[in-house]
Amino acid sequence: MAKTADLLPGTLDLLILKAVSLKPLHGYGVLLRIQQISGNALEIPQGSLYPALYRLEHQGLITAEWGESDNKRKAKYYTVTAAGRRRLREETDGWKRLATAMAAALDTTPDEV
Amino acid sequence: MVNRLRSLGAVLLRRDRFEDAMRDELQFHIDAYADDLVAAGVPRAEAERRARVEFGGSERVKEECRQARGVRLLDEIRQDVRYAVRSMAKTRAFTAAAVLSIALGIGANTAIFSLMDAVLLRAMPIKDPQQLYFLGHDPGERISTSANYPMFERYHDMDVFSGVTVYSTNAQGFRVVTADGTETLDGQFVSGNYHGVLGVPFVLGNGFTSEPDRSGSPNLIAVISDSYWARRFGRSPDVLGKTLTIRGRAFTIVGVTAPAFYSLEPGLRVDVTLPMSIRALDQPGFLDDHGGFISLKIVGRLRAGVGEAQAAAALDTVFRQYMSEPAQQWVYEGSSKYFQAAALLPAARGSDDLRRQYAKPLNVLMAMVGLVLLIACANVANLLLARAAARTREVAVRMGVGAGRARLVRQFLTESLLLALAGGALGLLLAFPATSAILSLFNAGPISVLLDVSPNITVLAFTTIASIATGVAFGLVPALRATRVNLTPALKDGGSGLIGGHRWTTGTVLVASQLALCVVVIAAAGLLVRTLQNLRTLDAGFRKENVLLFNVDTTAVGFPAEQRPAFYADLVERLRARPGVLSVSLSRRTPIDFSNELRRIEVPGFQGQGVQGVSTNVVTPEYFATFGIGLMRGRGFTPQDHRNAPRVALVSDAMARFFFGESDPIGRSFRLGGGSQQETWTIVGMVQDVRQERLRTDAPTRMVYTPLMQAPRGPDARSDTLSRLTVEIRSGGAVAVLTALAASVREEARAVRKDAVVSYVRTMDEQLDASLIRERVLATLSTAFSALALVLSGVGLYGVMAYTVARRSREIGIKLALGAARTSVLLQVLRDTLTVSATGIAVGVFAAVVLAEGVSAFLFGLAPRDPLTLVGSAAVLLVTTLVAGYLPARKAAAVDPMQALRTE
Repeated sequence: MAKTADLLPGTLDLLILKAVSLKPLHGYGVLLRIQQISGNALEIPQGSLYPALYRLEHQGLITAEWGESDNKRKAKYYTVTAAGRRRLREETDGWKRLATAMAAALDTTPDEV
Repeated sequence: MVNRLRSLGAVLLRRDRFEDAMRDELQFHIDAYADDLVAAGVPRAEAERRARVEFGGSERVKEECRQARGVRLLDEIRQDVRYAVRSMAKTRAFTAAAVLSIALGIGANTAIFSLMDAVLLRAMPIKDPQQLYFLGHDPGERISTSANYPMFERYHDMDVFSGVTVYSTNAQGFRVVTADGTETLDGQFVSGNYHGVLGVPFVLGNGFTSEPDRSGSPNLIAVISDSYWARRFGRSPDVLGKTLTIRGRAFTIVGVTAPAFYSLEPGLRVDVTLPMSIRALDQPGFLDDHGGFISLKIVGRLRAGVGEAQAAAALDTVFRQYMSEPAQQWVYEGSSKYFQAAALLPAARGSDDLRRQYAKPLNVLMAMVGLVLLIACANVANLLLARAAARTREVAVRMGVGAGRARLVRQFLTESLLLALAGGALGLLLAFPATSAILSLFNAGPISVLLDVSPNITVLAFTTIASIATGVAFGLVPALRATRVNLTPALKDGGSGLIGGHRWTTGTVLVASQLALCVVVIAAAGLLVRTLQNLRTLDAGFRKENVLLFNVDTTAVGFPAEQRPAFYADLVERLRARPGVLSVSLSRRTPIDFSNELRRIEVPGFQGQGVQGVSTNVVTPEYFATFGIGLMRGRGFTPQDHRNAPRVALVSDAMARFFFGESDPIGRSFRLGGGSQQETWTIVGMVQDVRQERLRTDAPTRMVYTPLMQAPRGPDARSDTLSRLTVEIRSGGAVAVLTALAASVREEARAVRKDAVVSYVRTMDEQLDASLIRERVLATLSTAFSALALVLSGVGLYGVMAYTVARRSREIGIKLALGAARTSVLLQVLRDTLTVSATGIAVGVFAAVVLAEGVSAFLFGLAPRDPLTLVGSAAVLLVTTLVAGYLPARKAAAVDPMQALRTE
């Protein structure tokens, strides 16, 4: 298994929003998609996925609908809402600024001080 | 937020489906993962095991999911409620006592609030009511809305208003001829644009459509109320086009107003509305009458964008211009504060006549029921405290197994809220009959106050909020105390132990506060009851016993004015011939009928400043004998004071003293009225002072009496004094005589002339009672509320003392076993009771002294801090507490030492 990183607090919601913004997904699909888009670098504890999904649904950031999975089974598919998309955009910008700042800060060499 | 509530709502409504879906979803996840593992080459059995293990505890995940959706809190609340219901069902006596206490408190509050809502708060069910204003005069506390038609015409086209209309209520009522006799309905005359300007809602047909008021041949149309439509026509849809016969004319019904709307006069149920043009027809000259401000009210709707101040300024300009015209010289300038400036009065809640009369009494009553509710709260808090003490063990066990304190406090509060809501629901049921009973108190007089006090959203909201506040108020302290448990001793001995001597506990403090509140309520009631008594026993200057009064109206179409004198002479003759009748008189006004006819007076040689006024009455010579008003000087009227004789007048003591000082008024002259109508009168006698307009006056009225035979006669009903008169009969002592007379005066009048209408037959006692409605309502209700307060406090005290005795039975048993006398035990408990009650009562008396100012405006003949009332209230409470304390004391003295020691 590739080296994985622990999730920072608050990042799971953002990752879920990102995953379902690409395409409607069921819970298991969200898990796989996050692993896939993070290049298997991020490991999601399976048990914490569903409370997060329920919380996002409760906040109106995603909606759920029952559909049929690839293997013809009934599964609950999540879609991002307009409010969810807005939140994703805001938080993505925030993260990018933070990541750039952190990278810049951590890459600083003694010469540059 | 909306989304959260919706998502929670969806879960609550479909709780089973939520659980099923959650299970399916998690199962799908595990299956899908297992499938993937199998595809990767793991054997199925192993794959399923690994999928489950890696997923983690599915119950924990589910619980977290529930919490994410806010379901867990609800589950807990549901548990709390179930638990509370179970424990309430177990302790039935406690539950019944608590619920009943709250029900009485909430019931009384809801009843008074329903009245407040109907009288003070509710807006009229018309279009944009807040844009409507009465166009009145005399800004300040008592804006007057009286007006006349010419004034309306000045206001009519002002551009600060999008519409101005005028109406007059008809106090006499309309007599409507129906197939089965005649019925009298409350009615009003309105200008043609009334329904349009007000935006009156209709269930059927339309209102008037701007018919001109000045029309020689007006449309004979009428609008009726929903209630009359239901009563008389059974809500038949073909009522439009039917006719009502009123005063000999057939009016076609063109519309039925919506159920909630009657008129702009709260308390008056106007069933029939006729066009103003009809009134102008019946009373020629009415529309051009500048001769006074009468009960015509002008209402305007502000044009959009126009502010109240702007409109008021514009109105004032027009008003001052109108008042400066020569036609307004009639104005009685006895006081310079009237008719000086225009004023706007918001009309959103209709006319403020009723509000002005009842706002303060209702506030006092609301304060009293508030106190009663506090007393009830204290009762329930005490019951809960006692029960919490009994539940110490249960609390200790639950805390021992790890229940948080917050969770337990929530549990206790849930129980209080349930009790409060149950009490509130029962209170609501009690409130509606109570409200009707209170309304019937208001309606003892001739004018009924008809209010819609049926349950509505406002009242329901009030009751719910009051109940919840009550629940928190009485539940919080016991909940906090109950959960403050020192675990070890409570578990060891079950919480009861030896308590030495008397000490102040939360329970006794609550009881003392209850008693203090109770003193305030009883003292207020005492003051109000004594006020009523003072007014009833007041010497008003006339004799009220054995006098029967009734009104006669001779304005029917086809009753010629010149036949009126003969009609009255015949009627008086017939009545005087009846057995037991001592005297019969006629007059324009009677004492304490709330009417007043102030006229301008000029007395030659009088030095006083400004224009003076006197109260006038027109009477027959027997008037003074009928009412027992004594002649002090000179002579009374005689039949010789007829139309062609010199004009003579009688004056009251106060009038003579004011205008003539110590000199003899007999033979002096004065002039009444102003302008062309001025008349000169010569004083022939002086009579005793009476309270004329109302009982509650400081100074006696300055009266001038003139003979009916010399009163102005005119061609139309308004100017003819004889058109409407009151007949007064004094009878001998027997009650039966008065009763028989009352039953037969209508027939006597009909026997003389069929079209003479007799109305409002009453005794003078009844007329006085009617004038004291407000006082009687206050006295009756405050007495009822203090009885309620007394019972609640008495029960509260009894409960606490009985509980204390029960808890201390072991100590008492030991004392008795050691040889203490039973009487000393009895005295000890009584002493404890007295300490508590004396403290409470002392605080209460102090509070009553401070708060008494609140009712001072209603009092008559006694000071707000009347010592007798305060001492009386304290005494009543002391006796009550002694009774409530004696029963537990006797029980304490009867404790069997052996039994008490053994059971512990």
